[in-house]
Amino acid sequence: MAGADRQRLASLHDVELAAVAATGDRASFGELARRHGSAVRGLLRRMGAAPAEADDVAQDAFLAAFERIAEFRGEGTFQGWVKRIAARQLLRRMQRERRLQALAEESPEEAAGASSEGAAAGRIDLDEALKVLSAAERMCVTMCYGAGLSHAEAAEALNLPLGTVKSHVKRGLDRLRARLAPPEGVGPEERRGNG
Amino acid sequence: MAEVDFERALERMFAEAPAFPDAEAFAVRLEQRLDRGWALRRVLIGGAGLVGGVIGASQFIMSRFVDRLETASEGSAKILSNGWSHLAPNVDILAAMPAGSETVWMAIALAVAAMGFLVTRLIDEF
Repeated sequence: MAGADRQRLASLHDVELAAVAATGDRASFGELARRHGSAVRGLLRRMGAAPAEADDVAQDAFLAAFERIAEFRGEGTFQGWVKRIAARQLLRRMQRERRLQALAEESPEEAAGASSEGAAAGRIDLDEALKVLSAAERMCVTMCYGAGLSHAEAAEALNLPLGTVKSHVKRGLDRLRARLAPPEGVGPEERRGNG
Repeated sequence: MAEVDFERALERMFAEAPAFPDAEAFAVRLEQRLDRGWALRRVLIGGAGLVGGVIGASQFIMSRFVDRLETASEGSAKILSNGWSHLAPNVDILAAMPAGSETVWMAIALAVAAMGFLVTRLIDEF
């Protein structure tokens, strides 16, 4: 019975599952968590959270999403919606623990020593490439390209000036490009390798 | 690579979810937390309903409502015969109740609010 129910849920689209979950059906929401849990956990780790913290925040984000599931109208993807909730939850936690302040105080030049020599290496994945970024660059790039926030939204969430966020994103992209840039004639899709 | 192309490629890379060996355990843990939260909510709502019911019933008994109702019935027969101007003494009955007229009005207001809540829930459901 449970297996059949699981199969039925697995056949539903995210929007349908969300609609059923909005009636209080926890199994439907469990299916959504099963589908998108890894993406949310991955995003939080890419933002710089330690694995245990990322998992805690991801759990809290999904619980918060369940509470607000009626607000999800299917205009964007469910994954994107939960990712934004999770990103903001992580920032709130960092704010509480006064870790965001350190991020704000980080000057762009501080990470200048980060190496970009990996470009020549054969297969470099995104997680490895993100390690060469400073904490602020990593946070800003991940929020904008991973969580889908605009620069302005990221600036507001991080409580940083818009110009600072743009500068972190620009610098971060330059470093990532240097790190991920393909050798002659090879696209990034072919090189990524560890997807 | 052009900047836009690189940004698109980067978005695609971010969109790829990493594989976690404990993905199922994560989902199960979340479901358990959801169930716990739901059970706790039911207990709280049930408890609040019980407390509200006990308070309401005690107020109902303390107000000797039945006696008052009989008095009010007799009074209302007279009021009906005498017209609207005699309705005022009937309202005074509420003030004479041991629990006070405020309690009765509050109960009425709560009942109206509960009815409104019920109606909105029904509209949401159907």
